[in-house]
Amino acid sequence: MIANYGYIGLFLIAVVLFTLLMVTIPIALRLLGLVPDKPNPIKNAVFECGMETIGKTWVQFNFHYYFYALVFLILDVLVIFLYPWAVSLRVLGVSGFIAVLVLITIVLVGYLYAWKKKVLEWK
Amino acid sequence: MNLTLFIPELTLTVFAILVILLDLFVRQKRVLAQVSISGLVIAGVITIAMWGNSFPAIFNNMLAVDNFALFFKLIFLAVAFLVILASVDYTSRFARFQGEYYALVLLSTLGMMLMAGAADLITLYISLELTSISLYALVGFLKDGKSTEASLKYLLLGAISSAVLLYGMALIFGFTGKTQLGEIAMVIQTMPAQTLLASPALILGMVLLIAGFGFKIAAVPFQMWVPDVYEGAPTPITAYLSVASKAAGFAIILRVFFSAFGQPEWLSLNWGMIFAVLAAIGMTLGNIMAIPQTNIKRLLGYSSIAQAGYLLIGLAAMGFSAGADTAGRSGILFFLASYVFTNMGVFIAIIAISTKLNSDQIEDYAGMGKRTPLVALALTLGLISLIGMPPAAGFMAKFYIFSAAVQHNLLWLVIIAVINSVISAYYYLRVVKVMWLGKPASEEKISQSGTLKLALVLASLGILLLGILPGYVMRLAEFAANMRLY
Amino acid sequence: MSLGLEHYLVLSAVLFSIGLYGALAKRNAVIILMCIELMLVAVNITLIAFSRYIVPAELTGQIFAIFVIVVAAAEAAVGLAIILAIYRNRQDIDVTKINLMKW
Repeated sequence: MIANYGYIGLFLIAVVLFTLLMVTIPIALRLLGLVPDKPNPIKNAVFECGMETIGKTWVQFNFHYYFYALVFLILDVLVIFLYPWAVSLRVLGVSGFIAVLVLITIVLVGYLYAWKKKVLEWK
Repeated sequence: MNLTLFIPELTLTVFAILVILLDLFVRQKRVLAQVSISGLVIAGVITIAMWGNSFPAIFNNMLAVDNFALFFKLIFLAVAFLVILASVDYTSRFARFQGEYYALVLLSTLGMMLMAGAADLITLYISLELTSISLYALVGFLKDGKSTEASLKYLLLGAISSAVLLYGMALIFGFTGKTQLGEIAMVIQTMPAQTLLASPALILGMVLLIAGFGFKIAAVPFQMWVPDVYEGAPTPITAYLSVASKAAGFAIILRVFFSAFGQPEWLSLNWGMIFAVLAAIGMTLGNIMAIPQTNIKRLLGYSSIAQAGYLLIGLAAMGFSAGADTAGRSGILFFLASYVFTNMGVFIAIIAISTKLNSDQIEDYAGMGKRTPLVALALTLGLISLIGMPPAAGFMAKFYIFSAAVQHNLLWLVIIAVINSVISAYYYLRVVKVMWLGKPASEEKISQSGTLKLALVLASLGILLLGILPGYVMRLAEFAANMRLY
Repeated sequence: MSLGLEHYLVLSAVLFSIGLYGALAKRNAVIILMCIELMLVAVNITLIAFSRYIVPAELTGQIFAIFVIVVAAAEAAVGLAIILAIYRNRQDIDVTKINLMKW
């Protein structure tokens, strides 16, 4: 039983060693004097993707996102039913196809409703 | 697979979608009510045409189409019909969302119709949730403080109870390895009693099922939501909840406990006892709590808890008879049929009065006997029927259920029920007294619209018909009570 | 030691109890909704475990679980919509303060 986990253990050790190695390389290069040390404010800034934030980052979301999430949720739920159908497509045949068509039609009505109620437009 | 047996449900689905689509493209919103009503009538006619035959179950035995299911489907269609008639004037309060309102009423009716036929735990759960989720949205339709609050309470408690119900279903599935009710019954009946008792899964699953269903029918330990939701919801939806939702809950309990847990006898005695105790507590608590109420919708909320108690007596009788005779079951069916007309009549009268007064307080009903005599008369008739006095339908309903209970040695329960009926007379008659003898705030007459009058007359006729000539409906109920086992 | 049916059942019972406790004890409506989702997930684990160990040849439990997921999604959507409506009405979703109507 333990032996089955042996490879995982070896892998874990390799991971730890590799990480330590990668962290120590730049420090070692600095100590050996191979890398010049010229700090300035821009270099020392915390690296972040995109622009610097203005104001607090802990803001409430616009609740319009909620409607998008809802519209996405419908699709999500639809896919749950499409997967089992797709897996046994040949077995279910035409009747299964018609059943799925009915399901998709009903979901489409939902989308049409959302569209006409202007949920899909960003105000 | 025989789709022709599924036509009533398909009709409702198509009409619900049609209503949503029409709402998007049609200016004249009155059309929506007409379309919904025509959908209900078509579905009803087809259901009546199917009555009396012995059809096989459809969708791999997942959906039964027996007379029991047809009886309940007719009840739901009739209730939805009356609800839509009663809400035609009411919908002006949410003019922007009329299409959604009618579509949701149709969809929840569809859910209840599926509940009546559900013969498999999966169908049962989905149809129950289809009903509940539509109703959560409908309860919050007014969008004011009380309505949204009622909706949130209903949703949170309803979701918890359906999770509990689902856990019970999972345990029963685990115990038997089946989800189809007939197959569950087969597995249980072939097991020796020691195996059944060795594992708590079956009993625990059954208790959790009772808890989940008890929420739907407002049986007592699970009744907390009832008064608040009844008070906050739009009045037509309160009527719908109090009648159709309760009937659907009883339909499911009857089918599950009769076909899956009806045998062996010690098992049915066990759950019969649980229902008997729930009935006794429910009646007493509902009636006592109703006495101090000043809001008529809240009063009817507690009254509906008490009525659920009377109905549970029938279930107890069913448990004690071990499925041997149909007295308990047909008693419940008759009680539900009469309860439909009674409660719909009462609520339609309340809609007629309250929308004009803009108040649900009982003291504001003073002098209604002079201001709008027809409505007051109908309300009086409904309340008399709720007490259970002749010649109204409620008398015969209680008579049948009590006699079924007496046949199966439940005399103690019947005595409690009769004492409770006397208590209930006090608060029902108080409303009647205020209406006919109270001093009116103004002498001005209140006029009603045609659709509301039609709905009121239909409901009152139903009450009188079932009260004076109960034989015919009772024969239908006895016929329907012979459920097919799958 | 290998994993058996009991482990899954204990896990799901514990999850269900945590969910039930949270649903009954928490005050924020959104957290209550999350706890209800937790209860449903626990039931899904039970269903799938039973299906795997009791009737391995059939997929009843898995199919049931798919339907439960779908219903849970619909329930959460409606629940959030109602919470949104409440928030617009009174700028608060603390359930202990939602008390216009008393018992």
